[in-house]
Amino acid sequence: MTCQQTTELFPDYLLGNLTEAAAAEMQSHLNSCAACQKEAESLRAIWTKLESLPSEQPSETMRPRFYAMLEAYQQGLQHSQSAPRLRDVVNGWLKRWWPKQPAFQFAFAVVLLITGLFIGNRFNAPAPARDSSELVTLRSELNSMRELMTLTLLRQESPSERLQGVSWVQNMDKPDNELLSALLHRLDYDPNINVRLAAVDALDLFVNQPLVRQGLIQSLSRQASPLVQIALIDLIVQLREKQASAALKQLIMNEKINADVKQRAEWGIQQLL
Amino acid sequence: MSELADNVIMFKVRDGEIGKLGILFERHHVPLYNYFLRQTGRRDASEDLVQEVFLRMLKYRQSYRGESQFTVWMYRIARNSWVDYYKKAKRELPWDEDADEPISDDPNPNDDLEESQKLSQLRAALAKLSPEKREVLVLSRFQDMKYEEIAELLGCAVGTVKARVHRAIKDLKDIYLELSQEKII
Repeated sequence: MTCQQTTELFPDYLLGNLTEAAAAEMQSHLNSCAACQKEAESLRAIWTKLESLPSEQPSETMRPRFYAMLEAYQQGLQHSQSAPRLRDVVNGWLKRWWPKQPAFQFAFAVVLLITGLFIGNRFNAPAPARDSSELVTLRSELNSMRELMTLTLLRQESPSERLQGVSWVQNMDKPDNELLSALLHRLDYDPNINVRLAAVDALDLFVNQPLVRQGLIQSLSRQASPLVQIALIDLIVQLREKQASAALKQLIMNEKINADVKQRAEWGIQQLL
Repeated sequence: MSELADNVIMFKVRDGEIGKLGILFERHHVPLYNYFLRQTGRRDASEDLVQEVFLRMLKYRQSYRGESQFTVWMYRIARNSWVDYYKKAKRELPWDEDADEPISDDPNPNDDLEESQKLSQLRAALAKLSPEKREVLVLSRFQDMKYEEIAELLGCAVGTVKARVHRAIKDLKDIYLELSQEKII
């Protein structure tokens, strides 16, 4: 066996696919060729080493997310199977209304046309004072569209999309209360810690809103993760709100709390004095 | 009673027993997650992608013919999902390096410092391989696929797969040695 033929067998050698005869032939070449032997050994070594790379477990949200999707899909299927019946109902209803005589059909169509023209005229009445005011309306409509989009993003099941939603809020000048509440909700209940942390950062920009100040302080007792707790404490201390020190004291009373968080909270109370 | 083969279960799903997909999820979601994790290095993206693969199985279940191994079909969907996801991510939010969550940190830190350092070097070396080479290595080494199955999945000859595996493991060895020497200096 030549060196070339031997190296061609390496991939099968690594997976243990070689027939006994081929393995024996390869071994006899390796015994006589130091270069090939060295090569085979080093490849085998790294191949074996790969085994030590552990597999990871996905997060706990993975499984419920899948089953929710499966159920939604099944429901969607059932719905689409029952849909034809719905169409029959509508058809029957239309049939009753639609006149059978061609003459009446024609009359019906004319009536519809006239009604349409009338309505069209009413709505198209010349709008006064267009130009700049129209632009303002357009812009505000655009803004509300954007807010709607952001709200939808914040409710997505994918953490990366929710993160994107949070960063959209950050880029807004004046998010409305609904958006801020959605953001506070993320902070309190999002299963993903990255989203919760991003929510803290985003809310930092809007602490002049009373809703946000209240929400941040209340959220302190709802958090379990030390990282989020510390981020919240730092933010709350900046607020210089009286209620805050009560919330911090309550946090310290909790026995289960992480030592670092406790220390941070004590520091926070000092700052607020 | 022995467990039903993947193929049989997927036929049932195709023929309307949608709920049976749960069995396939339980069997394959962890390997699939690790496949994506090794390819992308991102945990959140990998979870999204696993979900996407199972959703696509439902959507395209009518096209399931069972001509090849179920896993070949599954990884074909996985590869397509990854390509689409990557395109979408690039278009919508440019692959943000800061948002990257590299998996260099072991979630269960090893007590043996030297050992865990070796592991993270190996992981780094794997990440430096070209995607094509990493893919055949991941599929054959971690996903337990035979070369014939990989060839079917990639649509190329078995010889090509073997040659690619050979080059991949060679490259990996060189990169790994380079990284461990850097550390010593």
